[in-house]
Amino acid sequence: MPLELGPISQQVDNMAQTIVDLLPAEEGFLARAQDCLRSADADALRQKLEWQHRQQIRIPWLVATPRLSLSGTVPSPSPPSDFSVVGIDASSIPPDRHSSIRYYVLNVGYALLSYGRQPDAVLEASSQLCFQDEQLYVFPQKRDVPIEGTLLSARMEVESLRVLQKMLRSISRPTVALRDGPLILWTLQNESKEVQHVLLHDLLEAMAFLRQTGVPLAGYISYTGSRDVANSLRVWLCQGRPNECERCESDNRDLCLALARIRDRDLFAFLAEGDRSELFGSSSQILEEYGEHRVDFFYMNVGGEIVRVEVPRWVGSDVDLLGFLHAAIYDQCQRSPGFPPYPPALLEAHEQAVITAAERRLVEQMVEQALGQHGQRVVRSAKDDSKRRRGI
Amino acid sequence: MRIGEIVETMSTGFVAESFELNRPPPLGSLVVVRLPAEAGETSSGMDLYAVVTYGQTVGLDPSRRAVRRSTDTVFDQAIYQEHPELNRTLRTEFGATLVGFFADGQLRQHLPSQPPPLHFSVQSASPEEVQRFTDRLHYLRLLLAPYGQVSPLQVLAANVREVYQQRDYDRVWLDTAAREIATLLKNDHEALLTVLHAIDPGESYDRSGGGEPT
Repeated sequence: MPLELGPISQQVDNMAQTIVDLLPAEEGFLARAQDCLRSADADALRQKLEWQHRQQIRIPWLVATPRLSLSGTVPSPSPPSDFSVVGIDASSIPPDRHSSIRYYVLNVGYALLSYGRQPDAVLEASSQLCFQDEQLYVFPQKRDVPIEGTLLSARMEVESLRVLQKMLRSISRPTVALRDGPLILWTLQNESKEVQHVLLHDLLEAMAFLRQTGVPLAGYISYTGSRDVANSLRVWLCQGRPNECERCESDNRDLCLALARIRDRDLFAFLAEGDRSELFGSSSQILEEYGEHRVDFFYMNVGGEIVRVEVPRWVGSDVDLLGFLHAAIYDQCQRSPGFPPYPPALLEAHEQAVITAAERRLVEQMVEQALGQHGQRVVRSAKDDSKRRRGI
Repeated sequence: MRIGEIVETMSTGFVAESFELNRPPPLGSLVVVRLPAEAGETSSGMDLYAVVTYGQTVGLDPSRRAVRRSTDTVFDQAIYQEHPELNRTLRTEFGATLVGFFADGQLRQHLPSQPPPLHFSVQSASPEEVQRFTDRLHYLRLLLAPYGQVSPLQVLAANVREVYQQRDYDRVWLDTAAREIATLLKNDHEALLTVLHAIDPGESYDRSGGGEPT
């Protein structure tokens, strides 16, 4: 066992002690941050953010623009008596750079749960092996920009919504669609405009279909690590420029620096069970490409956890769709068998999407066998081969 | 009526997934697997009879355990209404021990030479079949064997039956084998009867036209 647990154990103790020592101070700052959230003027903050945006003043953090108030809360309405929830999740077997054959597998799992007079459940997965140039490259004609890493993650999101689109063609009752994870594909931010355009094209097309069918779509993020609203409070407190903290001499400097460590899920811990916050706009740059499907978000107490829910603007600006979505999410969490709760539709979609280690090996063997039948041998790197053999 | 599908099969019995959640066939009831001529070893098909030995409802994925779902207002059957995914994530299965078969116009009460095929249907036996099958009670001996194991007496009988067939229904050999077994089991009358019954070629198996085994 090469990992030396002795020193690690000592460091674990030190870490625990440090965390405990800081707790009272952190709690004090959190209370002050929540006071700030309640007292800040949402209109003035919005204007300040818009002004900074116009002046092209660089804000080094993601910030949230309040669509209405900062600390307003909305109780959950009741869901309709008959409705469905579709949960969707995806996983992949990524391309193996140690193999001579390039391919990847996408597996989109979905769960359609119907409640009311005719309860029903459909739990299925849509799997595909991607090996053709148009699947392997963003620009297949010149075999440029291979789909892997963050681009593969983006492909999974796109494929999820495509599968959702196909599924919803046969649904007649009121339905809410939940995607596990964000709708804001911020990982694409560092890609070129051309790459963003190719990957977002299908995503936005699927969103347009959902809008047409009147199915509210949401990205559900459990245990969110976002700080967008906390960062906005830093902007609110800031007397100078938000990227010149080292020169700051403000009285609020300690609170501002504390806000850098506070997560929005803690800031909104005051939400009562079932309540959601008002909507916020995100400053994520990739949203510039989303057009009418620009994504906003809110926080919600689902009964044991504050989650972040991302919605396209056409959901957020439609009172009925937003209310239905809010009610369905809370209803889902009340049906959850675990604590903190998690929507059963997403739990079952995950179960359908997950690819086990045994299945990964099986696909690999199938590929090797199929090629072997055509006299082709799959070559693996020496490094990978030695790791598999682990000879002594 | 089809009540399940075989998901595990062996010489002594099978495990089937019930078509109805939480409703396996009654413990001890007689079920039947009907093999068409092409699937069985006889020209006219074969009905394999089995007695239900257990029923259980578990998660479809063995790594997922059931958790409590009830609340003050939602309990018992209402849980299934409020959590429709349960009907897709749980499964009810039952085990059955093979006790005999009907083939070539004869009812036999010993283990068949082949286990029933995987994925074949299990049906509940009709009242007429139950009556016909239980007119004789030799099958009760099969229920006493430890679950999942073929009793040595059944292996002995199966060997004699197989060899008898492969020796082209050599009645003289069969009689000699029966006498040898009688010597081996002379101190265990019940065991001897079990084997003799199981190797009795009956009318259709006895091509030499012989009578009762010695």
